Amino acid sequence: MLFLAIKNLVEEKTRLLISVGGVAFSVLLIMSIQGLYQGWSNKIGEYIRTVPADYWITQTGATDMFHTPSVLPLTVRDFLTGVPGVATAKPFSGRRVAFAHNGRDINLYVIADDTENNVGAPARVVEGKAVPDKGEIIIDRVVGRSENIRIGDTIPVAGRELKVAGYSEGGYILSFSFAFATKEDAESILQLPGATNFFLVTVKENADASGVASRIEADPAVDAITKDRFVENNTNIVRDTFLPIILVLLLIGIAVGMTVIGLTIFTSTIEKAREYGVLKAIGVSNRQLYTVVVEQAVTAAVLGYLVGAALALAVSAAAGTYVPEFITEIRWLDAAWIFGVTFVMAVVSSLLPVRRLARIDPAEVFRA
Amino acid sequence: MNVVAVQDVSKTFGAGHTAVTAVDHVSLNVDAGDIVLIMGPSGSGKTTLLSMIGTLMSPTTGRILISGQDTSTLAPAQLSRLRLQEFGFVFQTFNLLSALTAEENVMMPLITAGVPRKEARAKARTALEQLQLGHRLRNLPRDLSGGEKQRVAIARSLANDPRLILADEPTANLDAKTGQDVTLLLCETACRENRAVIIVSHDQRLRTAAKRVITIEDGRLTAEEAGDHNLNCRMHPESVQS
Ligand SMILES: Nc1ncnc2c1ncn2[C@@H]1O[C@H](COP(=O)(O)OP(=O)(O)OP(=O)(O)O)[C@@H](O)[C@H]1O
Ligand SMILES: [Mg+2]
Repeated sequence: MLFLAIKNLVEEKTRLLISVGGVAFSVLLIMSIQGLYQGWSNKIGEYIRTVPADYWITQTGATDMFHTPSVLPLTVRDFLTGVPGVATAKPFSGRRVAFAHNGRDINLYVIADDTENNVGAPARVVEGKAVPDKGEIIIDRVVGRSENIRIGDTIPVAGRELKVAGYSEGGYILSFSFAFATKEDAESILQLPGATNFFLVTVKENADASGVASRIEADPAVDAITKDRFVENNTNIVRDTFLPIILVLLLIGIAVGMTVIGLTIFTSTIEKAREYGVLKAIGVSNRQLYTVVVEQAVTAAVLGYLVGAALALAVSAAAGTYVPEFITEIRWLDAAWIFGVTFVMAVVSSLLPVRRLARIDPAEVFRA
Repeated sequence: MNVVAVQDVSKTFGAGHTAVTAVDHVSLNVDAGDIVLIMGPSGSGKTTLLSMIGTLMSPTTGRILISGQDTSTLAPAQLSRLRLQEFGFVFQTFNLLSALTAEENVMMPLITAGVPRKEARAKARTALEQLQLGHRLRNLPRDLSGGEKQRVAIARSLANDPRLILADEPTANLDAKTGQDVTLLLCETACRENRAVIIVSHDQRLRTAAKRVITIEDGRLTAEEAGDHNLNCRMHPESVQS
């Protein structure tokens, strides 16, 4: 009966346009925010993944780079290198620093580029110098563009005037971005004399990693967190920020989609009540009629989904080039669950029309 | 066996002192090849009787057998099946589906019965061609004249090879000449294939086609006479080969 469903839909072009538009809007909304979430989650993980470490050693209780402060005395390094199975232990210093520039608040996550230990270098430098010299800083290109900071400009990072020497990429997350200064400059900005934020530990090739970790954690002052776990802890911050927004938009999207589909299919069912009565009279079963209505809803929803998904892809591609903060990744998995939601929504919103359909009395068709 | 056996059927609407007995102890048998014209004043219960025979409404008392099957024993889904396979309906207001072309309207009962699309299309086309509508296959109902619409409706009613065709005032929305032509066409087609037809109408001229003319007044059958049955019931040359 799909052909009847499609013919009925196409017959009423305006109504079809409204229902497809409504669903497309919902899908665009949900898919964009989901893509943004995924994009930012990836970005934050991307940099941390490039940092060479099997374990991140944090101050006890600290689980990530942002939420929980972690300060460790440099002397911990001696302890770590003494633990059997540890190959290397290098300090990693970095923290969020906020300051105002040209009347705008800027949030950088300043990392000490420790060339001596080969730790804390930018993941990718796209313009200018790859390694900062004294008095210099490398910032993310996104910040450079959005805050109009050019290479050669001087910015006041926590009271110190630093000259922007290069642009890196892939370090922009939500409201802040990674920036890289020399070890000495970073230590004075971060105010870490004789201390660091984390140690990066690599494990000897044939050592049992978890055994090494538990030997490290024998020291009550530190925690050893696997690289994967640390990446996850950090991306969870993005998740925690986004999940409520995604949920709200999901609810709005579902409400809009259901209302639009439900109302258009309902009015069309009422308008066609007589025709459905005729179909009942000539022997179309109730179940077949319900199928027609559900197929109408689902067809409109699928069309809406396709339009919405195409728009979301177009918007994220276009926005990405004009608004660098707009980093999106629309995964197949997300496209699939959003499709699932759309489908279920269409089926649920045809329940009301189906109930109306059940009440149509075929004997009415003999009344003129 | 009778195609239809109406056995002492009554239908009462409402209850208490507002109750209306629309059909009052009616018995009637219809056989294959019968063309029955039911006449009677407005409000006499013609449509109610037809609706009960068509299983769209159940009698208050009495039984209706279709090909020997007591319809009161059937579940709604079985009644749907029965209507799809045994009945063709023709209505005063044509009742075509507005979104479908003439051809697709005729295909509807076939597709509902599970006939594959291609086959259904071919059958619909043949049926419409036999009713001189070969040039109107792709037209929507709104582009058809009243007479053309009713011919499409007739083709639809015949699609599943029904044993019985039920028509309520098929001429009322057509001008006199077209109404008569279309109804004669229906009767001829039915009679050629030995189907039974029950037509409710005020139109006296349909007596020429009818084999039996039944009068109903106040819900009761009051008279039955023979009609002229002046029809060409021989097979059309083009349908002989099939
Ligand atoms: N659903 C109903 N509820 C209540 N009364 C009804 C209903 N259907 C029909 N009636 C009544 O039953 C009687 C017979 O109606 P019916 O429609 O069968 O007459 P009819 O012979 O077809 O009339 P007409 O020639 O005007 O079409 C009328 O008095 C009508 O008002
Ligand atoms: Mg009537």
